[in-house]
Amino acid sequence: MIYSLLVLSSPFSGHCSRSAAQFAHCVIARGHTIHRIFFLDAGTLASAASSVSAQDEDTSLRSWSELAGQHGVDLAICITSALKHGMLDQVEADRHERPCATINPLFTVSGLGQLVDACASSDRLITFGG
Amino acid sequence: MDCVNIIAKDDALVLMGDGVYAALADTDASKALQDTDAKLYVMAADALAAGVKNLAVAVSCIDMDGLVALTETFPRQQAWY
Amino acid sequence: MTAAPKKTVLIVLRHSPYGSGLAKAALDAALASAAFDQAVDLLFIGDGVLQLQPDQDSTSLGIKNMGRRLASLPLYDIDHVYVDAQAAARYNMDLSKAPLHTRQLDDHEIHQLMVCYDHLLGF
Repeated sequence: MIYSLLVLSSPFSGHCSRSAAQFAHCVIARGHTIHRIFFLDAGTLASAASSVSAQDEDTSLRSWSELAGQHGVDLAICITSALKHGMLDQVEADRHERPCATINPLFTVSGLGQLVDACASSDRLITFGG
Repeated sequence: MDCVNIIAKDDALVLMGDGVYAALADTDASKALQDTDAKLYVMAADALAAGVKNLAVAVSCIDMDGLVALTETFPRQQAWY
Repeated sequence: MTAAPKKTVLIVLRHSPYGSGLAKAALDAALASAAFDQAVDLLFIGDGVLQLQPDQDSTSLGIKNMGRRLASLPLYDIDHVYVDAQAAARYNMDLSKAPLHTRQLDDHEIHQLMVCYDHLLGF
């Protein structure tokens, strides 16, 4: 089956964002395909490239990176939410005259059209919110 | 907890995050959930972290693999946070 | 965008209009769906019904008026809007003055509605 995920929750509050990444790994392990993971609202903070966690805590960024790096999963962040939360790729940093990019390059800045496409192209749409 | 008004017999409800506290035995929350006749599940790791051991009898423990399995069976999901 | 097979989507709005970014995110998603010619219907439940409060004026907050944005939805062919009648009654709301024309549903009807769609997008 084809799955897409919508992640609304911040990785810095609760562990819903991390659960979403684990869920995605399990979806793949069970032989399904992930069409896209779309990050919206505070969910876009999952792409923060420079976040530093306490040494004894897992970072969800590594889990997301594995999905993109090893399984080629499309990690799309909503541009409106991303900009609001200070999450910029190099193009947006240049456009808005900010000193540097702040998102991990494994994430793609994109529009809500990519969420609409994810709905249309997937058998399952699973939301991780709060 | 307003989800209890809408869920019905053929639904499955998975408690995760802070939702796991609604799985505690002999509480108003778990009684209200059991009255819906929906299938009730709790994420084992979340319950363990929260110290939620005394589970209501109707609640089954699942892991992430079990959650994915549920989404294979149930065609649509409503997140309640 | 590729011509993917169409799926029916119900956007479920469960949060108040200004208490978080979720109401705005839901509305943006609804408008994006309309822009890409993918029909969506809306269901307001629980505190989400507060988005339908008449006479909203967010001028002094410096943010967009959610009521006014909702009122524009029929222009985008988003015509099927459902409301949790029990929640509206709890807040003593007069839905005849709401920014959108809505259909009120009881809990059983809400359940029946939700199982009609391919996907639920919950905000």
